[in-house]
Amino acid sequence: MNYTFNWALIFAGEYGRWFVDGLAVTLELSGISILFALLLGTLLTVLRLSRVRPLVWFSAAYVEFFRNTPLMVQIFFWYFGSDPILPDFFKKWLYQQNIEFATAVIALSTYTAAFIAEELRSGILSIPKTQLEASRATGLTFIQAMRYVILPQAFRIIIPPLISQFLNLIKNSSLAMTIGVMELTYMARQVEAHTFHGFEAFTVSTLIYLSLSLLVSFIINQYNKHFLHIGSRR
Amino acid sequence: MEHFWQWFSGLFANWGVVWNNFDYLLVGAYPQGPLGGLAMSIVMAVIGIFGAFWIGLAAGLMRISKRPWLSWPALIYIEIIRGTPLLMVIFWFYFFAPLLMNQSVPETESAIAAFIVFTGAYIAEIVRAGVLAIPKGQMEAARGSGLSHTQAMVHIILPQALRNMIPSFVNQFVSLTKDTSLAMIINVNELTLAARHVYTRTMKAPMEIFLTIALLYFAICWVLTAFSRRLERSMARYQARTSHDR
Amino acid sequence: MNGFWQRTLVILAALALGASAAHAGKLDEVKSRGKLIAGVKDSQPPFGYVDEQTRQIVGFEIDICAALAKKLGVGLELKPVTSATRIPMLEQGAIDLIAATMTHKIEREEKIDFSITYFPATQKLLVHKDSGIKSVADLAGKKVGSAKGSTSEQNIKKAQPECTVVSFETYPEAFLALKQGKVAAVTTDAPILLGIRNSDDHPEQWIIVGEDIAAEPYGIGLPENDSDFRDFVNTTLMEMWKSGEYQQIYAKWFGPDTKFPLPLNWTMEIWP
Repeated sequence: MNYTFNWALIFAGEYGRWFVDGLAVTLELSGISILFALLLGTLLTVLRLSRVRPLVWFSAAYVEFFRNTPLMVQIFFWYFGSDPILPDFFKKWLYQQNIEFATAVIALSTYTAAFIAEELRSGILSIPKTQLEASRATGLTFIQAMRYVILPQAFRIIIPPLISQFLNLIKNSSLAMTIGVMELTYMARQVEAHTFHGFEAFTVSTLIYLSLSLLVSFIINQYNKHFLHIGSRR
Repeated sequence: MEHFWQWFSGLFANWGVVWNNFDYLLVGAYPQGPLGGLAMSIVMAVIGIFGAFWIGLAAGLMRISKRPWLSWPALIYIEIIRGTPLLMVIFWFYFFAPLLMNQSVPETESAIAAFIVFTGAYIAEIVRAGVLAIPKGQMEAARGSGLSHTQAMVHIILPQALRNMIPSFVNQFVSLTKDTSLAMIINVNELTLAARHVYTRTMKAPMEIFLTIALLYFAICWVLTAFSRRLERSMARYQARTSHDR
Repeated sequence: MNGFWQRTLVILAALALGASAAHAGKLDEVKSRGKLIAGVKDSQPPFGYVDEQTRQIVGFEIDICAALAKKLGVGLELKPVTSATRIPMLEQGAIDLIAATMTHKIEREEKIDFSITYFPATQKLLVHKDSGIKSVADLAGKKVGSAKGSTSEQNIKKAQPECTVVSFETYPEAFLALKQGKVAAVTTDAPILLGIRNSDDHPEQWIIVGEDIAAEPYGIGLPENDSDFRDFVNTTLMEMWKSGEYQQIYAKWFGPDTKFPLPLNWTMEIWP
C-alpha cells in the first residue's frame, strides 16, 4: 500500500475544528428536521385515518410519492427545481437567508415525514378498533378520541421505530453536502481536499457517525427494556 | 394577474428540454457511447441486490450462530454498516479500495461493491429476523428426526424463512434502487447524474428535469412496493389459515 | 454484465485478501495497453464538455490529450473527472494523466507531478451586470459560489474572509445558483467563467469582474515520480508550441470567431 498515514495532521490546527463544526451542523440539521418531520408525519396520519376521501387520498399519495423517490433527487428538486414555482417577492427575501440549510431541512423533513406517517399509522392500527368506538361512544369527538386515547398509546409503541427514523435522518443528512451545507461529510471532504489525507479524514467522520448511531441504539434498547419490557436481544 | 400568467406559463415553457434529452435520461449515450441514465441505475440495483443477498445470507446466519467466532464478526459488520451513511461507504470504496489493491477500480464497479456491502448488512438483519421467526419446535422436530443442525437449517428452516422474507427483499431492492442515485457523487453516469448533465449543459429546466426523473424512479419503486405489499398480504392470509397449528 | 459482476467480485475478494500488483513505467504501460486514458472535465466548456449533437466529450483539453496520444501512437480514452476526484483517480491509476483545468500548486506536488503550464489562468468573479459588484471588496457579507475541492474556493476565503462560500459539486451548478439569485457571484478561473457564461441563453447579462484573485497556471497532472512519462509530456507540449499545433488548437477553441474569445497573450515555457 502506497500511502503514508498522518493522523496528527487531522487533529492539528484548524482541521480538528472543522470536524466539530461539521458535527454541530449535522446535529442542528437533524434536530430541526426531525421536529418538522414529526409534525408533518402526525398530520399526514390524522388525514389518512380521517375517513374524508380527498384527505385520505392526498395523504396516501404523499406517502407513496415521497417514499418511492430518492432523497437525492428531492434535495436537488427543492434546491434547483423549486425556483420557477416560487413567487418573485418571496424569492428575494428567501435567498438572502441561509437557503442551503433551509432547503436541506425542507427536503429531509418532508422525506422523513412520509416514513414517520407509515410508522404512526401501523402503530395506530395495532390498537384495537373498539377503543376508538368506545371513546366515541363516551361522547368524545373523533379529534378528541385521537388526541386523548389513541395517539398517546400509539406513540408509546412507535417510539423505538421513531428513534430509528431519527437515526436514518442523521445518516441521510449527509446528502445535504451536495447543495453546499457544511455538515460532517462536507467537512470530511474539505479536509481531504486540503490535506490529501482522505483516509484519516473519512475514518474520523465515520467514527463520529458510528458513535452517534451506537448512542441512539443504546437509547432504543434502554427504552424497550424499561417501558415495553422487551429483551433487547433475542 | 399578469404576473400570475407569466408565472403560470413559465411552468410549461421548458418541457422541450426534457423531451429532447429523454433518451439520454433513459440510456445515456448508448449505443454510440457507454450505457448511462435509468438503464445504469437498474443495472447497478440488480447486480447490487444479487450480491447483497449472498453476503446478507451468510452474515445473517453467522449472526444467529451460537459460536462467538462466527457471530461477533457478523455483528460488527452489521452494526458498522448500519451506523454509517451510505455516502461514507461509497467514499470508502471509491478512494481506498484502489489504494489497498494497488490497482485502479472503475467508479461503477466501486459503487456496486459499496452497494453490495451496504445492502448486505440490511439483508443480514432481514435473514436473522426471518429465521428467528420460524417456531423453535420446527428445528427441534427436524433434529429429532435425525437431521444435523446444518441439514435442518438448509432443508427445513431456510426454505420457509426465505419465502417469508420475499416481501422484505423486494423492499430492500426498492431502497437500493433509490440509493443508486448516490453514485452520482463519484461520477457514475446513472439517472441522477444524467439529469445534472442535462441541466448544466442547457442551464435550463431544473424543475422539469427533476420532476421527470422523480417520476421515473417512482414508477419503478412504486410498482415493486405494491407488488411486495400484495405478496405480504397473500402470505398473511396463508399464515392466518394455518396458524391454528402453531 | 458478466464482466461487471466478475470485476465486482474480484474487488471484494482482493479487498478481503489485501492483494497487490506491481507497477511498471507509465510510458510502457500506455504503449502496451494501446491507449492513453485521460481524466478530463465533461461539463466545462470549452475545456472539456459533452457536445449536444454527438454526445461525445470534446474541448481544448481533449485536443491536447489527442495530440499526446497521437505522438505516442496509441488511442485515446476519456474519463470524466471532477475537481474532487481527479487526484485520487490518478493516484489509483484509473487514469494516466489529468487534463482537467487543474492548477499547478506546490501542495499538490506531495501526491502527483505536473507538466509545464499549458494554460495560464487567473481567478476572477462572474456577476450579474447590474449587481454593482466590481471587486472582491464588494463581496463582504455576500454568498459566493464555487466548487468543492478547488483552489478557487480556498483563495476566495483568504481574499475576502467576510463572504460566505457555498461549494457545489460543479461550476455550472454554482452558476445555476447565481442565475436563481442564491449566490451573488461565482468565482473561479476566468476561462471557466467565460465558458459557463457563454453557455447561457443571455450571456450579455453576466460580466467577469475583479482583480486577479490568484494566478492559476494549468498543468497536466502526472503520476508521481515517473520521470520518463513527464519528459515525454513536457517535450511534446513544447514541440506543439514550436510547430504551431498548440496555437491552432487554441484558435479552434478560444479564437476571435468562437464563443470563447480569449487573445493568446502568453508564451509557453520553452527549454532550449
